[in-house]
Amino acid sequence: MESLFDLSLINSTLRMMAPLLLAGLGGAICARVGIFNVGLDGLMLMGAFLGIAANVLFENLILATLFAVIGTAIFSLILGYLIINLQANMIVVGIALNFLSIGITTFTLRTMFDVKGAYYDNEMAGLPVIHIPIIREIPIIGNIFSGQTPIVYLGILITILLFFFFRSTVLGSRYDAVGINLTAAKSQGIKVKAIQYQAIIISAVLCALGGVQLSLGQVTMFSENMTAGRGFIALVATMLGQSNPFGVFLSSGLFGFTEAISIRMQSMNIPTNFTLMLPYVITIVAMFIFKDKTQLNALKNNTGSTR
Amino acid sequence: MNKVKNSASKMMQPLLAIVVGLIVGAIAMVLAGESVLNTYHEMWKGAFGNFYFFTSTLERSIPIILAGLGVAFAFRAGFFNLGAEGQLVLGAVTTAIVVVYLPFTGVIAIIIAIFSGMVIAGLWSFFAGWMEQRFQINLLISTLLLNYIAVLFAGYLVSEPFRDTSSAGGVPQSVMINDAVKLPALFEGTNLHMGFIFAVVATIILAFIIKRTTFGYEVRMLGQNRFFAQYGGINRKKVMFTSMLISGMLAGLGGGVEVLGMHYRFIEGALTTPQFAWTGLMAALLANSNPIGTAVMAIFLAALDTGSLGVERNTDVPNAISDIIQAVLIIFISARFTFTFLKLKKKEGKKHGKSI
Repeated sequence: MESLFDLSLINSTLRMMAPLLLAGLGGAICARVGIFNVGLDGLMLMGAFLGIAANVLFENLILATLFAVIGTAIFSLILGYLIINLQANMIVVGIALNFLSIGITTFTLRTMFDVKGAYYDNEMAGLPVIHIPIIREIPIIGNIFSGQTPIVYLGILITILLFFFFRSTVLGSRYDAVGINLTAAKSQGIKVKAIQYQAIIISAVLCALGGVQLSLGQVTMFSENMTAGRGFIALVATMLGQSNPFGVFLSSGLFGFTEAISIRMQSMNIPTNFTLMLPYVITIVAMFIFKDKTQLNALKNNTGSTR
Repeated sequence: MNKVKNSASKMMQPLLAIVVGLIVGAIAMVLAGESVLNTYHEMWKGAFGNFYFFTSTLERSIPIILAGLGVAFAFRAGFFNLGAEGQLVLGAVTTAIVVVYLPFTGVIAIIIAIFSGMVIAGLWSFFAGWMEQRFQINLLISTLLLNYIAVLFAGYLVSEPFRDTSSAGGVPQSVMINDAVKLPALFEGTNLHMGFIFAVVATIILAFIIKRTTFGYEVRMLGQNRFFAQYGGINRKKVMFTSMLISGMLAGLGGGVEVLGMHYRFIEGALTTPQFAWTGLMAALLANSNPIGTAVMAIFLAALDTGSLGVERNTDVPNAISDIIQAVLIIFISARFTFTFLKLKKKEGKKHGKSI
C-alpha cells in the first residue's frame, strides 16, 4: 500500500481535476444566471477536438488553444439561441447538443483525418509542463504544485477570479440577480438575455479549455467521444459545489482524486468501481444536507416539467 | 373535424423535423464528398435492404423501445426520468445473474429472471421518486447520479464475484447462460428474438393504460396540470410512485431481454456504449410521449443507426452521420415545443384583451 498514497498522487489529482474544474466552473456560471447546462460534455468534446485539429493545421499550441476556445464559443451559440430566444427545454437541448458534438467531431475526424477511433501523431507537441522556479524548490509544495500544464494553473486562477467576480463586482451581482429572479432583474433594467448569452459563452470557453487540457495536456491525441461523460461529472461537481467557485474547486478535487487513485489501484489490480462510485454517493448524501438554491432555481426556469 | 385536423398537425411536426434532419444529413454527405442520393440509398439498404438487415434494425430497436416507453410513461405524469440507463443496466445484470443461479431452466426460469430484473430496476427508479417525494431531492439530478452508481455497481458484479473466469482477460462479463433459457429467435438465422414481441405487447398495454384506464387519466392529469390534478383529488404521491416504478420496470425489461436474447450474458458496456437509453429518451421526446409513437420513433432511430453502418461499409461517409441527424431532429423538436407554447401564450393574451 506504500505506493498508493504519496505526494505525487496529489500532483496527479490536480492534473485529473483540471478539466472537471474548468467545465464545472462553466456549469456554475450558467447555474448562477438560471441556466441548467447539460451540454457541458458536448462543449468539452468540441474543445478537445478543435484543439487537436488546429494543432495539426497551425502547429502552434497557443493558436490551437485559441481556435478551440473561439470555435467552441460559436458552437455554444446554438445552445444559447435555443434556450434563451426560443425558450426550449434546457435538458432536451443540452442532451441534443452532446449528441451533435459527438456526431460532428467523429464525422470530421473520419472524413478529414481519415482515421477511425483515435487520431495521434508522435511528432505532435502537447502542452508544455511548467516548473515554477521558486515554488519548485520548496519541498512539499513544490512536489504538489510544480510540473503542471499552463491550463491547470489557469484553472486555479479562474477559480479565484470568479469567486471575486461574484462577490465584489456589480456585473457579478447582476448575474446573480438574473438567476434569482429573472422578471425582477428585467424590471431593474438589466439586460437579461445579454447576460445569459455571456454566461453560456463563458462556460463554452471554460469547457473548451478543459477539453484542450484533455486532448493536448493529459495525452496528445483525440479519440472518438473522448470526454466519456466527464461533462456530466463536471455538472455533478457543480451541484456538489453549490455553484460556488471554491465549492466547485473542492468537489472537482474530490472527483479528480478518486480518478487518480483509481488509476493507481488499477495498476495494482484492485477493483476500482467503488472508489469511482464514491463521489456520486457523496453528492446524493450532500443533497440531503444542503439544498442548492441556485441549481433548483435554474431548474425551475426550465420550460416543461421537471418534477 | 377539428379533432382530425388536430391529430394531423400533431403528426406533421415530427415529420417536418425528420425532413430537416435528413436535409442536414444531406449537407454533411456533400461535405464528405459523396452523392446524397446514393448515400441515402445505402442507408435505406443498410436498415431495410434485405430481410437480415430489416430484422437487425428491429432487434436494435428493442431496448430503445422499452427504455423509451419507460421515459414516456414517467414524462406523461410530469416526471423527467433521466435514469433509464442505470435501470436498463441493472435489469440486465440482475437477469443475467439470476438466470445462471436458478436451479432449473426453461420458460419458468426465463420468466423469473426477467421479472427479477424488472423489479430491481423498478425499485431503483422508485428510490429516486421516493427521495423526491420525501426529501425534495430533485428527480432529474438524482436519476442522473443513480445511473453512474448502477453502471459502476453492475461493472463490479461482473468483474469480481460473478465474472466469467473461463476466458482470460478481456472485457468483464458474466458466464454464458444455458441454451434452455435463451429467448428464441423469431426467424431462423436472424438476431431478432422474442424480446421484440414483449416490446410490442408493452407498447400496446401502455397505450391502453394511458388512454382507457382511470390510472392513465390520473397520470395525464398530473402531467398536464399538477395543481388542477391535486385539486381534483388525485393523489400525487401514489401516481408518482407507481409511474416511476413502471418506468423503471420497462427499462429493466429492455435490459433483461437483451441479455437473454442477444448477448446471452451481461457484458460490461454492451448496453451503455450504443447509448440505448438516451436514444430511447429521444424517441419519447420525438413522439411527445405517445407510447405507439415512441415505438415507431424508436424503430426509426434504430434504422438510422443500422442504416449508417451500411453507409460506412459502402461509402466514404462515416456512421457518425446518424448522430448528427438524430441531434438535429431533437433540436428541431425542442424548438417546436416552444412554437406551440408561444402560440398558446399569444392566444391567452388575445383572450385577456377581449375580456378587458
